[in-house]
Parts: sequence; C-alpha cells; structure tokens
Amino acid sequence: MKYEDFRRELFRLALENGCTAAETYKKEGEEFSVGILSQEIDSYSVSRTLGISLRVQKDGKDGYAYTECIENPAALVQRAIDNALAVETADEHPMQGPQVYPAIEQPEDPIAACSEGERIELAKKLEQAVLSQGEPVVRCESTEISLSRAKVSLHNTRGLAVEETRGCSLLFTSPIVQKGEEVQNDYAFSCRSTDLHSLAEKAVRQASSRLGASPVEPGRYRILLQGRAAFTLLQAFSPIFCADRVQKGLSPLREKVGQTVASPQVTLLDDPFDPGMPLRFDDEGTPAQPTVLLQEGKLCGFLHNLKTAKKNGVSSTGNGIRPGGAASPVGVAPTNLIWQPGTFSPDELVQQLDTGLIITSMSGIHAGVNPISGSFSLLSSGFWVEKGRIVRPVDRITVAGSFPELLQKVQAVGKNLTFSFPGTSRYGAPDVLIESLNVAGS
Amino acid sequence: MLSPDLAKKILCEALHTGGDFAELFCEDTSGTTLSLSNDGVEDASYTRCRGVGVRVLCGARCSYAYTADIGEEALLATARAAAAAFPGEKDTTIPLPPFRPVCYETAGDGFSGVNNAMRVSLLRRLYQAARGESEEITQVQCRYMDSEQRVLVINSEGLWASTRRPYTRLAVTAVASDGTESQTGRCAPGFGQDFSVYDTLDVEALGRQAARQAVTMLHAVECPAGTFPVVMDGGFGGVIFHEACGHSLEATGVARGNSEFANRLGTRIAAPCVTAVDDGTLAGEWGSLNGVDDEGTPARRTVLIENGILKSYLYDRANACRVPHPLTGSSRRESYAYAPTSRMTNTFLAPGRDDPEEMIATMSEGLYAKTLGGGSVNPLTGEFNFAVDEGYWVRDGKILCPVRGATLVGKGSDVLMKIDRVGPRMWMAQGMCGSVSGSVPVNVGQPRIRISAMTVGGKGGKIEG
Repeated sequence: MKYEDFRRELFRLALENGCTAAETYKKEGEEFSVGILSQEIDSYSVSRTLGISLRVQKDGKDGYAYTECIENPAALVQRAIDNALAVETADEHPMQGPQVYPAIEQPEDPIAACSEGERIELAKKLEQAVLSQGEPVVRCESTEISLSRAKVSLHNTRGLAVEETRGCSLLFTSPIVQKGEEVQNDYAFSCRSTDLHSLAEKAVRQASSRLGASPVEPGRYRILLQGRAAFTLLQAFSPIFCADRVQKGLSPLREKVGQTVASPQVTLLDDPFDPGMPLRFDDEGTPAQPTVLLQEGKLCGFLHNLKTAKKNGVSSTGNGIRPGGAASPVGVAPTNLIWQPGTFSPDELVQQLDTGLIITSMSGIHAGVNPISGSFSLLSSGFWVEKGRIVRPVDRITVAGSFPELLQKVQAVGKNLTFSFPGTSRYGAPDVLIESLNVAGS
Repeated sequence: MLSPDLAKKILCEALHTGGDFAELFCEDTSGTTLSLSNDGVEDASYTRCRGVGVRVLCGARCSYAYTADIGEEALLATARAAAAAFPGEKDTTIPLPPFRPVCYETAGDGFSGVNNAMRVSLLRRLYQAARGESEEITQVQCRYMDSEQRVLVINSEGLWASTRRPYTRLAVTAVASDGTESQTGRCAPGFGQDFSVYDTLDVEALGRQAARQAVTMLHAVECPAGTFPVVMDGGFGGVIFHEACGHSLEATGVARGNSEFANRLGTRIAAPCVTAVDDGTLAGEWGSLNGVDDEGTPARRTVLIENGILKSYLYDRANACRVPHPLTGSSRRESYAYAPTSRMTNTFLAPGRDDPEEMIATMSEGLYAKTLGGGSVNPLTGEFNFAVDEGYWVRDGKILCPVRGATLVGKGSDVLMKIDRVGPRMWMAQGMCGSVSGSVPVNVGQPRIRISAMTVGGKGGKIEG
C-alpha cells in the first residue's frame, strides 16, 4: 500500500466513524554514524525509518495512534478513536488549517556533501588530531561522525499540507587524559563543520584542565557559569516557560506575566529561525515565530501550542512539539531557546568574578533538578579563582539553588554563546555571572 | 515475520563483505499510554513499532543497520548497508548451519484483552488515593503504560530464539503546595507481567505513599551540606550501586579500558559486607529478560561482587571479541533502532546481617535517605551524583526532621569501600536506564545500608536544636 493511499484511507475511515477531523504526522528518517577507535571503525550504523502518527478528533477530544507499518488502516483508526473516547479534559485542541509559512533556508552542511568514505576519513582525522596533541592525552574514549536527516510531513482534513526536510551532521570526540594515576575525560562536538583542529583542541583543553582537580570547602560563593553550565540549567528548567505546565500549576512562574522576575541582564528568546536548527513550522503545523519570554528581566509570556493558546485566549507561539518524538502526543517545548548574549568577554567576566568559582560543567540534570519547585543541586566542576586569576581546577562539588532566584541574581552576561546538541529542542547560553550560590564538597 | 529461507538469504548478504558473524533482530512492539491529572484523562496514545536490525561483526568491529520496512528488498538492502562497513570479500556459498528454533515465551494474554476503561479505572483509583491523603495536595499526575515486545533473534550460527516481554507501569507524582512553595512525591512501580498483575496490587497505597512524601517534603527544611554518614533505605536506594558501580562493570567501558574497575577481577573493590548480583531471570520483574537477551544468550544470574571481591563484569558478544569474558546474558537494546550492548537487568546488593535500627542509632549526625531519585555516572572516573527525594536528618542516633534538596555525590570506588552496614531484607524498585543502546527497563535494589562518609550537597540548611 502506498503512503498516500494509506493516508487517504485513514482520513476516510476516521470521518466515516464520526470523527470531526483527522491529522497525520509522518517522519521519514535517515541516519548514518561511524565511531572510530584507534583509527579503526569501531561502530557503524545506517538506518531508514518511517513513523506515522494519526490524531483524530471525536466529540471534541484528541486520540492518538502511531505505527511503523503501512497496513491495516482500519485498526489504526480504531485505536485512535478508542483513545479519543478515553480522554476527559474539556480543553479543546484545535487542528491547524492551511497556513502561509516563512521561507527558511536550511544551512549548508559541508559534511552532507561528502561521500561515505570521506566522512569516515574525517572521523579518523579527528581522532588523530586529538591524539597528536600529545601529553596528557592517552587515547580517545570515542570519536564519532553522524549525519541525520528527517522529512516531516503534516496533513489534515482541514486542508493542512506541509512538509520540510531537516538535518544536521555532528562530529564528536571524547579524549581521555592522564597524569600519574589520575584519569579524566571530557567531550566536544561541532555541527555542520569540518574544522577538526579547533574541535580537537577544545576537547583536549577541556579534559586536560580537569587534571588535579579537588573540591572546595562548603559555603556560598560568587559563581561564573560558563555557557555550557548555563545552557544545562536553561534546558533543565525550560518546562517552567511552557504553558501546559503553567496551566496545571506546575511552574513557579505562573501568574507572573508582566512582572519583573529576573535581573535586567536576562533576556530569553525562543528563536525557531536560529541557523543552528531552523524550523518553518511546529509539530501541529503552526508557522514558526520568535517568542520573547523574558525581556530584560520582565516575564512577557509563555510558550504555547494550539491547545494551551485556546485555553488562555491567545495565539499559538508555534511551540506545539511532540517531545518524545513522532509517537508522542503534541505537547509544548522550545525550538531554539537562547539566553541572549551581553557584551563582556570571558576575561572581563573572570575579572568581575574576582574571587569565586567558574563552573564549566554541570551533570546529572535528570536527578538533581525539580522544575516544579524550581530547585537544583548538581554535580559540578570548574575552577577556583582568586582576585581575577584562575588558581586551580575544582570538581566533585555540588552547586545548589533555586532557578528563579538565580535569574534574579545575574550580575553580568558574556558575549559568546554556547549551544547544546540539537535535539527536539536546542538551548544556547552565554557565560553568566551570579551573585552567589551554595556549594557543597568535602 | 521471516521465513528461514529469507533469513538465510539476508544473513548471507550481510556476510558477503567478510563479516564473521551476522544477526537479525526482529521486533514488533505495541503499547498504550494514558495520563490523568486534575482535569481527568488528558492524553491517550497507542504505539506500534516494528522493524528489523541487521548486525555484522568482523572481529570486534560492529556494523549495524535497521529498517522499518520489512519487505524482502528493503531487508536485503539493509543487510548490504551493514555489510558496506567492511571492505572484504567472502565465499558465501558455504551453507549456514540449520536454524535451531528455541521459544522462551511463557503463556499469557498480554494486553490484548485490556480496554481503556480498565486502564482509566486504575488511574482514577491512584489519583483519588493521592488526592484524598491531604488537603495540601494540589496536583496529582498519574500515568499508565503497557507494552508487549515480541522479539526474534536469528544469527549465522543457527540461533533462532524468540520471546515475548510484557511490561506495565503505573506512575504517580503528587504536588503538595502551601501557596508559595511546591514539593513533589513520586511512586512508580513497574512489572514484567501481563495486566493481571493489577488484580493483587494495592493501587491506593501507591497514591497515598506519593502524597505523603510530597507533604513531608513541603514541611522539610533544607538539607545541611558537607560530609556525613548516610543510611540509605532499600528499594530505589539500590540506584547507588547501579550508578556507582554497575555502569562501570558494563563491558562497554570495561572492554576498552574506560572504567575505573577495568582489570580488577579477583581484587577487592568493595567492603567485605558487599555482595552484588545481576539477575535477568527473576519471574515477572521489570528488569527481567523473559528467558533470553537481545542477542540470543539465555538470561542468567551473575554474581558481580562476592564479599567485596570483583567476580564478573557484564558482557555481550561484540565486547567479548575485544576482551574475552564469559557472556552474562546482558546484551540489551531499547528497540531494533539500536545495536545491543551490555546492560544491567535486575541489579541488587544481596542481604546482609546488620540490624536496620542499629545503623541509625549508632550514627552521631548524618542523613537517612529514605527514597532516592535518579542519578548519573561517568564510568571512566566513577564520579556519580543522585538526588534524595525523601530524606531525614539524624542527630545523636535519632531521626530529627525531614530534609529536602539533598544530592549525594562521590566516586564509585570510594563509596563501595565505605559501606559499613548491610541490612537483612532486600527489596527492589524500577527505573529506566539510559545508555548507548537506548533506554531499557531495569530494577535496582538493596537492603538498608550505611555508608560511613559521603558528600551531601544541597543549599546548606542549618538544623536547629
């Protein structure tokens, strides 16, 4: 059965069985990845996937059914209808009609143009570039090149028909460094870039700087969060800006729109047009648009999909995202959520820090953060700074606080942005100087 | 889903560039998920994933290709894509050994006879129990999932092994609030069983437990920060072993020397009171394999640490080609979209002989961690962290008050040596474990234990009195 026939049949059966509307979300994926270890191919993976999610509306409720097999449309429609009948919430979830979409160019990707052999060669050269940095590098834990492309197509019985192909290449390396008995590692990645040297240099610099680290005495310290740590926190707490959580009373920012909730140094923008991961439309077909969440500390609004927007009597911000992939129901999530940069260079911020901690990385965000209460306590590492000079590396400490409070205590932000891996959402942040946070260590 | 003849054809195609082993992993999984909150049932979705993964090994090198299209042409193309990783040639006219079908499937009706009304009824009972526990409970979110995974593993050595893995889980998160502050409590038991498991489960008790935890934490003070002795309860407390040691015993790290426990077999890595086991054979458990792992090795019980001495790692076929080690039935993957690797199943510290009350009574000042949240580890360095969902401060051997916001950080090799008490009763709890081969269901477990000193992180509260 051809997909178009399958889709037509799904729509026909849905309408025939009393649904008022039906929508299909199709994702066709292609992936290629190769892992290199000691200049040999350690892992090699290629795939072609297809997933179709059917959403029906019956008696004002949504029901979902997802499949990877283009067969038996009647069974899929029946599953979706069963699920719609189970739903009780009165909130209407409208389906998007035909729209006009912004013209977006997908960024050039030099790796996409490479042959398979050239890609494998790139990954090998990246590992070589890491190893050739010499001491203290002992080997690479892994070095990978990957390329993924997905074509997303949305159709519904209201006349919506839109599709887009999105993709990104990724180079990743994780060097292991050693000094005496002590072993450390770190990683670095780049997207759509063949600049192997700076990637290798960055990964090695980050790993090497961890050698000789020890904790600090517990206490309250001035903190400079480097971009990587800052986007980690932004990612962990992004649900507090999503209207579905706000409407359920699960965001510490609820009922604070229009109020100043953060320092004037904090401007947060959800930017679907950021060239790192540009989108023309969200997962329910709403045209993409930039949304300011915090403007110099003032809370301007939340991210919405069609359902949460309808409930609040506003327009969708184009953040109807399926957070768990094609098989999961439409929720709310950022596109590219970016903490807007300031003017200070990294060195200037270290001077302003004066005496305190630079935090370069925070880990364990699925354990140590609570987006409902707003609190976090995370395993962190970085450097101890005295009078504007880096004294020694620090690790095995936890940095704890409340994210809403942290936003109020921001004293300065840097001019360079650091971005997360591009996933369902992508996060970017500058270096951020915080008045103080609690630190525990031994 | 495949005939033996077609399977052979695909395996030969996969081997034609010189691979010495080829494998097909065929999966058909369907499941239903529903969520319910204050506004009633919010979302209901059905998911069916079906596809085939082709793996080729050439020495220790692994190539993997997968497809959702299970037509003959697509499967042959997928096999060619996997084979393309290797540049050699091989005489594939040599016949493969005949298949020896083994079915590990146990009888059961899965979830085919289950309708949404039955699922919703469970959610409603859970919701009402949590909601009714206290007036301070302002939000309750409940989630139900079931899925049935059907797996067939075929390889070029004649393996033809199939099984069926039913999973179902209920999760409740209760939010307690006093108007300005919110705290949460959570309970999420899971089972490797059919729907009939709910015939005997006390659903209401789960809701009440989550609500009590949220209310307790609402009235808790911030946990003091520093280095203290920690008593950790059983059940999800076992996540400490999972993070601090289990991941570092997986072949993924060990076989490449990227683990702090590499090359340590037969040596002491833990205090003498510590015995740890991984057991994928436990009937009906969330982390069990139902007979066979995802590369066709029968599930088994593996003693990892015996009285403090490292006895075994967790090994799969590809890693055993790199560094020889007996296979431990540990090869797992989230779905056909992942090449398998060594993972934990049901992993726990075995019961000891110490008195659970004495552990607290002989502790001068420290933390009693009753319920732990999730955690993570860097297997290379062994550094881990995890959250304490429900904790109590102990002073002079007595429980003083509930504390919130604590995290525990440390290094696996340190903390294993510092376990100084192990209680007599072990129980397990459920989690999803994420790693290179995706997210897989696991059990963690332990009896109540004590660690003589650990770094407790948090906002650094002061305990008065």
